[in-house]
Amino acid sequence: MLLFRSEETVDRWCAAQQVPRRPLVSLEQLWRLAVVWYENRLTAESRRPTPQDMVGIFASVGLEGPFWDPAADQWAGAS
Amino acid sequence: MSKEDTSSRWRPPSLSQGREAIIHPMTPDLETTVKLHIYRTIAETTKAPSAAEVARDLGAGDPEVEAAFGRLYGRRLLVLEPGDPTRIRMAPPFSGIETAFPVEVRGRRYYANCVWDALGVPAALHEDAVIPASDGFSGEPITLEVRDGRPVPQECVIHFAVPAARWWHDIVYT
Repeated sequence: MLLFRSEETVDRWCAAQQVPRRPLVSLEQLWRLAVVWYENRLTAESRRPTPQDMVGIFASVGLEGPFWDPAADQWAGAS
Repeated sequence: MSKEDTSSRWRPPSLSQGREAIIHPMTPDLETTVKLHIYRTIAETTKAPSAAEVARDLGAGDPEVEAAFGRLYGRRLLVLEPGDPTRIRMAPPFSGIETAFPVEVRGRRYYANCVWDALGVPAALHEDAVIPASDGFSGEPITLEVRDGRPVPQECVIHFAVPAARWWHDIVYT
């Protein structure tokens, strides 16, 4: 994932890379994801969220749908 | 119950319990010991240790530590350097090499793997941070800051080009 100043520069990047535009996430949403993923990473109990965890975590910050599902079959051949 | 006013703070959802979470904190196995040593070394020095350095520091054998590196890779807690499984490319959110995502914390410069991980560094360290980033198309500087445990509002968006189902197909690109 990449950081952009605006949706305009996202669209220009996608055009230059010849890739479709995909979901945009706000700074606040990304911070919430970072906290869930990493706040306990320096502890013995830490682990990476399971695919089932991930779906719930994404939904908790408003990111829903197959794009955010690590088990979604429809993306098997996508890039 | 804590007397701290946490009503305005966002709290993460709890994670479901997986088998790997059942590790007694007082008697960690070698894999857990290696993981903690890696992360604590990075936190203290900003540098990811090699398997040989971890083995030396822990008084363990190189083969055992290299095997632990492999198991941590299998659990997606480490990404090893292509062609050299004794070196760490990523110990998320930290990068084992310099990247375009530096994170400045208390005078130290860490490197993250992406903008998500750049925010993950202060989240993992429980510290404030300054992240000198840039627009992915124009290169315009965009400085992100985490202050008092929150991101300072900044005009920006994050574009996820790869769906979650394919993140680990090429984690370096992701």
